[in-house]
Amino acid sequence: MLGLELNDHIRRSMAEWIKSADELRELDQALGDGDLGITISAGSRAVIAALELLPADSTPAEIARACAKAFANANPSTMAALVAGALLEGSKVWSNSSDITLPDAHAFVHAAAESIALRGKTKLGDKTIYDGIAAVADALNGQEDRVAALGFAVTAASDAVERTKGLQSRRGRASWLQERSIGFADPGATALLRLVESWRAVGTTTSG
Amino acid sequence: MKKIINLPEDFVEEFVEGILLAHPDLVKTPGSDRRILVRADAPQAGKVGIITGGGSGHLPLFKGYVGMGLCSGVAIGNVFSSPSSAQIFEASKAVNGGAGILYLYGNYGGDVLNFDLAADLAELEDIPTRTVLARDDVASQPNDNRLERRGVAGIFFAYKVAGAAAERGESIEAVARIAEDVVEHTATMGIGLAPTIMPITGKPSFELLDGEMEIGIGIHGEPGTHRGPLKTADEIAEHLVRALVQDLGLTAGARVAVLVNGMGATPLEELYVLYRKTHKLLYELGIEISKNYVGEYATSLEMAGASISLLALNDERLALLRAPAKSPFFEEN
Repeated sequence: MLGLELNDHIRRSMAEWIKSADELRELDQALGDGDLGITISAGSRAVIAALELLPADSTPAEIARACAKAFANANPSTMAALVAGALLEGSKVWSNSSDITLPDAHAFVHAAAESIALRGKTKLGDKTIYDGIAAVADALNGQEDRVAALGFAVTAASDAVERTKGLQSRRGRASWLQERSIGFADPGATALLRLVESWRAVGTTTSG
Repeated sequence: MKKIINLPEDFVEEFVEGILLAHPDLVKTPGSDRRILVRADAPQAGKVGIITGGGSGHLPLFKGYVGMGLCSGVAIGNVFSSPSSAQIFEASKAVNGGAGILYLYGNYGGDVLNFDLAADLAELEDIPTRTVLARDDVASQPNDNRLERRGVAGIFFAYKVAGAAAERGESIEAVARIAEDVVEHTATMGIGLAPTIMPITGKPSFELLDGEMEIGIGIHGEPGTHRGPLKTADEIAEHLVRALVQDLGLTAGARVAVLVNGMGATPLEELYVLYRKTHKLLYELGIEISKNYVGEYATSLEMAGASISLLALNDERLALLRAPAKSPFFEEN
């Protein structure tokens, strides 16, 4: 995927992702402070606006960096800072790529997941977005067909959300609820699922 | 809730505007966002910039220590919440003199996330940064886990010493090393008597029974090591000083700087009663007080309570502590 296609694909994915803002806000009100909906809606809009301004010859790494800055500034929540840091870390593995391949996509998601684990001081089973993104990174590993890879990614993200329902939140404000957090899907992992679904949904309408 | 405010949501903007109006010769805001404040003479060409920041509600932290021989700039958030990475990055650009930027702030999760992200943004624009976290609250974690401690009033020592090093033109590596060295040799412990009322919610930051004190309380009212009936000033000083001396491993012949800090609602008289006993205890232990500070250096709005900080001194730290400095809330000639 070349820079121009990537830019277009991200913008259409963001427009799709915004539609889950209400669902995420309600989930986050049950477990956290309820600002995840705003983080997603304001963040997506800011990303779309930033990408519209980028020159047509921007590299994939430049596009990822522009997304990071826009997302971080739109609603400076903990989630926004974690996601932006993850995108910047991912952009580093793309520094020499002009055409993103499936191995590049895997390397990006893997680096982004590790950034979230490091900065969020979180690990698998803590019931966070990391449970979702780590599963997606694993699902993309070694894939050779784009449509099949996206299918595996959605399934992995969805399974991760299901698993978080049985877990107790161990990071962030949700951890204050202790055992009362069990039974709810993690809002962060759900946001990631909706993003991967959006990425796939808009991808089927073009050859990109 | 009884407070001298206008609309609660305007509280942060309005106190910052007041600082800018009162001290235009010392500080300025580089753009339209008043939550970013830098030295009036920023940037210092060829010198390391020091950026700090954190939540509002701690004056003189953080805005009070921007000036010559101290911090170069600051970004603050809402009461007790982090500034954004964009605000920290804006402050960094405004003080960038081409010699690198030191991020020097307290070890709190939200602040670390946003400062780290600001460091990433700075790196993209070829502004090198280093980070040193103040971690002086000995009650927040045991000594063998001291890298996880919270930063409290003792950060003042790091500002003063690192700021003097930056002012005399040291490199970013040297300023970061000196700041880290001060953090390693600083210990603070406090007690809380009454909570602050949060301006937006109108609710107390923590609850404490009448006649009780929280020993080892954090700067936002975080729980300390234990609660118990309020003791006398001398007993409190003895408890805190002995914990600090032990944590720093101080023995007879050591030299220290002492900071007795009020948390917002405790009168200066009580702070001097605490200082009196601190002074006598250190004298009995054969520890020399080379410099002392008594007053409000890091508060928690109108929380009642006090903390004692010790900085173990060597010649380098003492010389930098004595170097000139001037900011809205602190001056050393």
